[in-house]
Amino acid sequence: MIFLKNKMNLMNSVLRMTAVAFAVALLPVASHATIDTIAVDVGISVFKTMPIGVVPFAEPKGAIEWIEEKPHQIVTRDANLSGRFDVVASDKFNLPLFSKAHAKHYVTGKVTPVGGKLKLECYLYVAQTKDLLLGETYTVEQKDLRRAMHLFFDEVIYRLWGERGVASTKLAYVSKIDGIKQVVVSDYDGFHRSQITRDTTISMMPVWMKDNAGLYYVNFKTHRPKLYSKMFGGSEKSVFPQLDQTYSPAVNPKTGELLFSSTVDGKTDLYIGNPATGKAKKFAYLKSNQTSPAWSPYASEVMFTSDRGGGPQIFVMGKDGSDLRRVTFMGRYNERAAWSPEGDRIAYTSMDNGHMNIYTCALDGSDIVQLTNNAGNNEHPTWSPDGKLIAFSSNRSGSYQIYIMRKDGSNVTRITNSGENTSPTWSFFYEAIKQQKKEGEK
Amino acid sequence: MKNLVKLAVVASAAAICLVACAKKEPPKTEPTAEPAPAAEAAPAVEQAAPNADSLAAEQARLEAERLAAERARLEAERARLEALINQIMSEDVYFDFDRSELTEKAKELLAQVGELLIKEERFTITIEGHTDARGTEDYNFTLGAKRAMKVKEFLVAYGIDAKRMESVSYGKEAPKVEGANEEAYSQNRRANFRVNIKE
Repeated sequence: MIFLKNKMNLMNSVLRMTAVAFAVALLPVASHATIDTIAVDVGISVFKTMPIGVVPFAEPKGAIEWIEEKPHQIVTRDANLSGRFDVVASDKFNLPLFSKAHAKHYVTGKVTPVGGKLKLECYLYVAQTKDLLLGETYTVEQKDLRRAMHLFFDEVIYRLWGERGVASTKLAYVSKIDGIKQVVVSDYDGFHRSQITRDTTISMMPVWMKDNAGLYYVNFKTHRPKLYSKMFGGSEKSVFPQLDQTYSPAVNPKTGELLFSSTVDGKTDLYIGNPATGKAKKFAYLKSNQTSPAWSPYASEVMFTSDRGGGPQIFVMGKDGSDLRRVTFMGRYNERAAWSPEGDRIAYTSMDNGHMNIYTCALDGSDIVQLTNNAGNNEHPTWSPDGKLIAFSSNRSGSYQIYIMRKDGSNVTRITNSGENTSPTWSFFYEAIKQQKKEGEK
Repeated sequence: MKNLVKLAVVASAAAICLVACAKKEPPKTEPTAEPAPAAEAAPAVEQAAPNADSLAAEQARLEAERLAAERARLEAERARLEALINQIMSEDVYFDFDRSELTEKAKELLAQVGELLIKEERFTITIEGHTDARGTEDYNFTLGAKRAMKVKEFLVAYGIDAKRMESVSYGKEAPKVEGANEEAYSQNRRANFRVNIKE
């Protein structure tokens, strides 16, 4: 290993360790995380987090039989995963504790059974004054409790950060079920998993349609990798059947068009097509093989992998194929760029000594930061739509599982526990939070 | 509809092949074994209605049986050739890590495969390119495709009609050997052959 450790980062780690020590203690699986860098001048600061008090919701004694986590536990997990907060937990309102921890706000609420359902009253208060900043009521069945709490927590984020949160978002990934890779979808925290494909052949590489209406993925039912689409609750359709061996799909976030690889006679090129009309054309005419396309947030440019130098390296070009330039130069295997929603960095996978690790760098390839190290293989980074987090798959526990970390590599949290789970892709934001609220609202 | 028919034929052929394979009898015994059940079944029909219609039907039935038997023999031959080629090709490692150039040993083995294919004109082949478990799914698809293509190019140069061959990449999705060590990796960096009956 040739990576230099950065003293600044060690210091950062110590600071962060102190800051998140409490949060880490609450997580079911929380690995240590350090940032190891190649470049000495890193220019990435300690993740700014906001302390927030969390107090258990009031409930009538013994009236509710809890099957999953209670509301304040879901809030705590959302807060810790969000990369925005440090939770200050307390059994009851405790101003000295909140003040000492600089928690200016706290979340609590009340839950009451109403005719087989739960009525959730969720509140965000100012600690010093006890002023109500946000109050939401949801009446839901217990199985929908998590969903309601995620929606509430995204309201909390919006109120305190002025930004949209990802507690209500989802992940698609590949799960080995009875020995066959299938596409599954779960909430971003790994709960409420549902199986999307049920094939006797491999399904893989799921990506989200625009508006999260369904997925595109690859299946081998024709003995060749081919792209399919499936709307949630709908049936499977072959997309671009006229092209041979189609894979590596990337959805244009503005138009919904699909950029993907197709291999004809051993040569792999990028194609762009409209899944609705089925029309597709070659995206760029290059001598090299191209795969793993990734759109910039506003779909003006495309990152992709080319083997023109022998091994895989990441390149970027305009969406019209112009202005091609190479992005990665360090190491011999850099693959599968994912463009950050803020547009300023890419996350990618690099192989060194046969081990895969996740890095980020600036768009010109400078400012390289290694996010994972010494923990098995770490692959397939995907950004949360708010750009705060990265989900990835790792076999650090012995089997491949899905993890979430902050974009600086800290706060690594495992969200799947059994089987083999790989290749996560994060959904887009879920629209119209207000409309999704359940009945019983004032 | 065409597919259904094809499926049925393949299924029956496969069933016959299974029986034949299970018995482990040499192929030459098949012809004597085949007609026996047909001869027993035939008279019953003829006695019942010896008219032109049933005669035609009977002829059609016999013809179908003859075709099925022929198909079964071809299928058995196909399976034997596929096994033979894959046996030849499994004798050595023939791609280095992240490379698609054929090793010298691989070329020797492919020459043997080429000889077989020149003799066996009734068949076409699908060349599957595979990679080891290291690396991304995406890049491994392109790498597997390059490997399959190198094999195809070699065989074309050896004199096999390019139209008889198609290539496909499985990336790292279909390892021959499970495991995260060089021994498994080297066996998985391979080209695999599927032999198909010419349409």
